[in-house]
Amino acid sequence: MLEIENLCFRYSRRGPLVLDGVNLELKDGEIGILLGKNGSGKTTLFKTILGIEKPESGAIRFDGEDLLRMNRRERARRIAYVPQSIHFGALSVYDTVLMGRVSYFGYKAGREDETAVETILRDMKLEDYAARNVEELSGGERQKIAIARALAQEPRLLVFDEPTGNLDIANEQLILSEARRVAREKGIGILTSLHDLNQALELGDRFFFMKDGQIRHAGGKEIVTEAVIFETFDAEVRIVKIEGKKIIINGGQKP
Amino acid sequence: MRVRSDLEKNRRKNRLALALLTAAVIALAFVCLFVGSSHMTIAECVDALAKRGSAAQVRIIWNIRIPRVLAAIVAGAGLSVSGLIMQTDLNNPMASPSTLGVSNAAVFGANLSIIAFAGGFLDTGNHLSSYTVGANPYATSLMAFLFSTASILLILGLCRLRAFQPGVVVLAGIAIGSVWTAATTILQFYATDVGLSAAVIWTFGDLGRATYRTDLIMAVVVLAGLVFFSFMSWQFNALLSGDAAAKSMGVAVDRLRFVSMLLASVITAVCVSFLGIIGFVGIICPHVTKRILGQDHRVSIPASALSGSILLLLADTASRSLGNGSALPVGAITSLLGAPFFLAIIFSRKGEHR
Repeated sequence: MLEIENLCFRYSRRGPLVLDGVNLELKDGEIGILLGKNGSGKTTLFKTILGIEKPESGAIRFDGEDLLRMNRRERARRIAYVPQSIHFGALSVYDTVLMGRVSYFGYKAGREDETAVETILRDMKLEDYAARNVEELSGGERQKIAIARALAQEPRLLVFDEPTGNLDIANEQLILSEARRVAREKGIGILTSLHDLNQALELGDRFFFMKDGQIRHAGGKEIVTEAVIFETFDAEVRIVKIEGKKIIINGGQKP
Repeated sequence: MRVRSDLEKNRRKNRLALALLTAAVIALAFVCLFVGSSHMTIAECVDALAKRGSAAQVRIIWNIRIPRVLAAIVAGAGLSVSGLIMQTDLNNPMASPSTLGVSNAAVFGANLSIIAFAGGFLDTGNHLSSYTVGANPYATSLMAFLFSTASILLILGLCRLRAFQPGVVVLAGIAIGSVWTAATTILQFYATDVGLSAAVIWTFGDLGRATYRTDLIMAVVVLAGLVFFSFMSWQFNALLSGDAAAKSMGVAVDRLRFVSMLLASVITAVCVSFLGIIGFVGIICPHVTKRILGQDHRVSIPASALSGSILLLLADTASRSLGNGSALPVGAITSLLGAPFFLAIIFSRKGEHR
């Protein structure tokens, strides 16, 4: 579904390469997780995929189409974004979700846009919230609204920048299970970044280890090893298996 | 379905608010029409309105008060909506028509016209009227408009280089605005006493300068703005979530920001050029409406426009009844009337700000 080839990006003409030849491939309905230190280029990579920043060179293809030449509204119907820090205006939950349809209706929402929003609100059990002001909701609830809005775009891919950044553990679980449900039930691919490696192992199908603007390792759960984590994060961890599941524990012997 | 009934309640509330505001504008327009320094009774006013009273009274109503009331409605709406749009565009609660230095540039243009041309070159008499009238009654307004438009284009052009980051626009506006203020100060330093007082009097906003023709010009620009902004309501709503989110939803953020900033500035420039500086409307009215009705632009655009008209009508009525024969500067009254109300709204609820 998503193919990125040799993508390079820098913020200013003489600045350093923030993305230095990124290659990435994600298949339909897969959950891909970017792992890397702060500043390794994860958010920048997301922004180039979403068309918020223009890359210097390289290609991004979506189902074979050139994403870099696609117009904004076409792109918005394929890829939706749940940003890291979420703020809306003082709008009702319903209107906030309806806003996600703007790439379809443009100026005035129609009957089918309203139906789509109502279905999403019902699906996500947000009906009771519809008339409430989003600004009055908690962080976890707002994140859920942001996901609902992204789904209103009827995307094939959801870009989800650090979904659990500012959440407590209950909301973390809520959002991650919501993400999993979206991917499994609706077949929407997810590309996300997570700091918690155990959460990543729990959620992800494919893993991309990023360092200095490059993806150094990519693959399934089997590539998540102590050595790769050390190389990416300069942090020592130990991986143990409990009931067949990989668990990552902080601290350990240098590999 | 429950969603529907809750939302219907919200929508009814919004429709009611807009209807009340419209009714208030109409009612105040009549109050404003009936109050003035000539102490006409209401019956006389009604007669004059029907063109039945004495010739003088008919003239007062039709040639003085009606253009003035229309100016208050149109300029109030224009200034207020410009403020709202700039606040959304720049994601800054302090943004207002003066953020881009629009008013400062207009003041400089008017000062140049009054001090350097009308006062310095074209006229030797020292009667005040010749300063504001000059060779062409529109010369001063035209100069004010030209300078404010040039200033807008300069700032917006500069900001294009920087991909339109809102913070940059605000800072550039402050910098360029201060250049105009400095230039005005230097100009005033060399002015004659009479030229200086004429220039200063120009800066006091005065709805009495309005004529049917200026009202029409303002109305065309303000209406064009209102139509465009209303059309773009959803795009502005998306912009409230930040540039990145709006872009990801398919909004052409840079283009929207450029066009709407330009239009909002032109609305301000036209109003200020004809009427002088009328401050604070663009901050008070949008904030009060957003506090009460929320930030959905489908509601806040018309509501801000109407509340701007209301504030200016109130301020004009007050300025004419308090001024003991001559109207006090309406720009000062808008702040005096609006600020306490504004503060009350700001401090009445905790938390959320913007």
